[in-house]
Amino acid sequence: MEIIEKIKTNKSIDNQTEIQKICLDKLQSSPLPNPRSEQWRLSNKSKLSNFLDYSVNENNSKFDIPYPKNSQSTIRLIIGENCQIKLIEKNYSIRQLSEDELQKYIKEQISCFNQNENWSDLLNLSLSCKNNILGLKINGSKIPPIEIFSYASSNSLNAKTLIIFLEKNCNVELLQVNLGKENSSLSQSTFFCLEENSSLNHGVVSYGVNKSNLLNSLNVIQQKNSEYNLGSLHFKFNYARFEIRIKQSEGNAKTNIKGMQITKKDEQISTYTKIYFDGPNGFLDQINKSLADDKSHAIFEGSIIVPKIAQKTDASQLSRNLLLSNRAQIDTKPQLEIIADDVKCKHGATISQLNEEELFYMRTRGITLTEASKLQLSSYFQEIISFIPVSKDRWNLLDKLLNEN
Amino acid sequence: MVNENLVKDVVKEPYKYGFVTDIETEKIEKGLNEDIIKLISQKKEEPRFLLDFRLKAFKKWQKMKEPDWAALGYKKIDYQDIIYYSAPKQKEKISSLDEVDPKLLETFDKLGIPLTEQKKLTNVAVDAVFDSVSIATTFREELAEHGVIFCSISEAVKNHADLIEKYLGTVVPTSDNYFAALNSAVFSDGSFVYIPKGVTCPMDLSSYFRINSGDSGQFERTLIIAEESSSVSYLEGCTAPMFDTNTLHAAVVELIALDDASIKYSTVQNWYAGDEEGVGGIFNFVTKRGKCLGKRSKISWSQVETGSAITWKYPSCLLLGEESVGEFYSVALTNNLQQADTGTKMIHIGPKTKSTIVSKGISAGNSKNSYRGLVKMGTKATGSRNYSQCDSMLIGDQASANTFPYIKSQQPNSEIEHEASTCRISEDQLFYLQSRGIEFEEAVSMMVSGFCRDVFNQLPMEFAAEADKLLALKLEGSVG
Repeated sequence: MEIIEKIKTNKSIDNQTEIQKICLDKLQSSPLPNPRSEQWRLSNKSKLSNFLDYSVNENNSKFDIPYPKNSQSTIRLIIGENCQIKLIEKNYSIRQLSEDELQKYIKEQISCFNQNENWSDLLNLSLSCKNNILGLKINGSKIPPIEIFSYASSNSLNAKTLIIFLEKNCNVELLQVNLGKENSSLSQSTFFCLEENSSLNHGVVSYGVNKSNLLNSLNVIQQKNSEYNLGSLHFKFNYARFEIRIKQSEGNAKTNIKGMQITKKDEQISTYTKIYFDGPNGFLDQINKSLADDKSHAIFEGSIIVPKIAQKTDASQLSRNLLLSNRAQIDTKPQLEIIADDVKCKHGATISQLNEEELFYMRTRGITLTEASKLQLSSYFQEIISFIPVSKDRWNLLDKLLNEN
Repeated sequence: MVNENLVKDVVKEPYKYGFVTDIETEKIEKGLNEDIIKLISQKKEEPRFLLDFRLKAFKKWQKMKEPDWAALGYKKIDYQDIIYYSAPKQKEKISSLDEVDPKLLETFDKLGIPLTEQKKLTNVAVDAVFDSVSIATTFREELAEHGVIFCSISEAVKNHADLIEKYLGTVVPTSDNYFAALNSAVFSDGSFVYIPKGVTCPMDLSSYFRINSGDSGQFERTLIIAEESSSVSYLEGCTAPMFDTNTLHAAVVELIALDDASIKYSTVQNWYAGDEEGVGGIFNFVTKRGKCLGKRSKISWSQVETGSAITWKYPSCLLLGEESVGEFYSVALTNNLQQADTGTKMIHIGPKTKSTIVSKGISAGNSKNSYRGLVKMGTKATGSRNYSQCDSMLIGDQASANTFPYIKSQQPNSEIEHEASTCRISEDQLFYLQSRGIEFEEAVSMMVSGFCRDVFNQLPMEFAAEADKLLALKLEGSVG
């Protein structure tokens, strides 16, 4: 783990920015997360060390976006390539965050970081150079859909950071695509700040190819009356970790999350979520689905924290899992930590396989086993995919998943 | 409108088992080392294998670290400041109940546990453990007619050494965890039950644990073996006097069920919980585990946890035998500054195994109540099923309720379902009951009782009544 050695000696990066310095300092004493901590105990150690085996690449190779735009209006950005942006239209404006704004916000975030919980972010921020940080401030209405791409080059580790401020009363539809190349590691950290009355429909689609790794961390702060909807999909990664941390800073906000992860071969994909209600009347509806095949391992750990101040919180969390092979394994741990007494909180978890009775029924109607399984899977996938804000025809996500499963 | 203070008053209840029995006891000096262990073993006239067992456990314990993963906060325990053996002084060996110190009998009478057989109305055999030793076991002869062995573990070591050697530590190995290792090194007494093949135990068996001295820990060990096609229902109760120091209780319970056998183990735990400021109370660190070794065997845990300052307890089932069944029904009530981290582990190893978990947590005052459970489907557990349900009730806005279910599956042909919810005493329901002329206190008590109904239904008759009464007492404020 070349990087860790470099972090220890604090030599990893020339021309360090102030943020990089702070993060490197924090990492120096213990550069790796504690493998016995709750957040990391199930994480595959050798896969994590494989993630860190590649050397850091700050330059970005030429990248062709694999999908055509569906309409001229879509705003498309690639982190690392075209970070200079300034769009001022009649109804809306998208402009780059100033250096000061960026620093101030990130420093604020770092001050409450915890070594194990925010290790992915610390690593990201200590490696991500100025060119690979995209910071945006969005304002106004009738904003065209935005697509933001992040990718890793082969045989290297790339760190990319995205920071978006949504100003008051603004509605945005944003699709974030993380692409892995062969033998690559991508560290992606995203920070959103949703101001009052704003709403964000966020889609995260991450997929790799052979031997690609991903550490994807998402931090959202929601001010009151904001709405955050997240649809996410992670598949085809040797090792992927999706961390979601959402804080409803004053309560009175709405959060909907629908996520899915699909693992095959000997892959390990995990989702960790932490939803913190720091005010009353918060709402959360979360569902996470996993599908594990071959020798793979799918993990979900979700926690909902409702302190005393968060009265009248209504939160529900559901983890649904399909285990398709004898050698695959699934771990799930939906947890509740509640102090407020006037709340409605519930969670549920199931692990099973495809419903045999339904399969049998379809087969008696002349549908082959393969087709019947596909039908079942497509209904399983559909709930999540339909929640991702992306034009279905263009991305063909469902077909992509079905043909590969 | 619910008056928050009124609810808080309702959940306050003085502890009525807090008296100390003034009886001469024999204690050894404080501290823990190999010599102390040898001394305990010598006092109990134990065979060599048991001393080796203890020393081995002690060596392992010395290398272990106290676990810190539970959602509990308590001041560090000084293991050298505890007396590991304390027994009421006896001049001669007891041959019948008449020779038991009358003060002791009085103590158990006060606790509502009549040891004198003539007085007994209910058909329950009792083994009473006072501090470190077993005082008396009733209904022995009748049980012996059926071939059932029910005695203290020290007696079993003397009279049934082969069974002890064969089974002790097979379910909870000495190195299992920190507290189990400690218990294995210093355990003083406990109960031993052996149900022979094909026998349905003619009466419920019960043991009653009483801590009397403030500076001695209690480390009892229970071993229950149910041979093929046998069945037994075992009840356990515990109380302790009020001291302003914390007393350590680290017990180990091992259950073994062979083919078609069934064991039902019920606990009403009412150790002293400390006062309102959290001073004193028992630290309860217990390892309870059952092994469903045989085909179609069944182990059922039911517990009502109302006492202890700290509860750390996870009664578990290892489901090895084909079609074996594990059950866990629990009510945990915490009040004031009590902390409970309790739950279960259902490890499905054999095929077609089934488990059910029903856990109800009630937290009031400033207490902390966590459910922590593991459900695991091993690679060979084809056709296995689990259903878990964890409900929490919060009374007041200072109490916390946490749920930490760990679910792991390695077998596609199995099903796991888990659900959890939280609720409070609903104002609408209270209003409805009150408008029908039901007093506030009674209404709260009725609602709590209804919340726990699923679990109480699983308790044996005698205990169900006691548990209902206990919760009502804790919640009603007026001692009935």
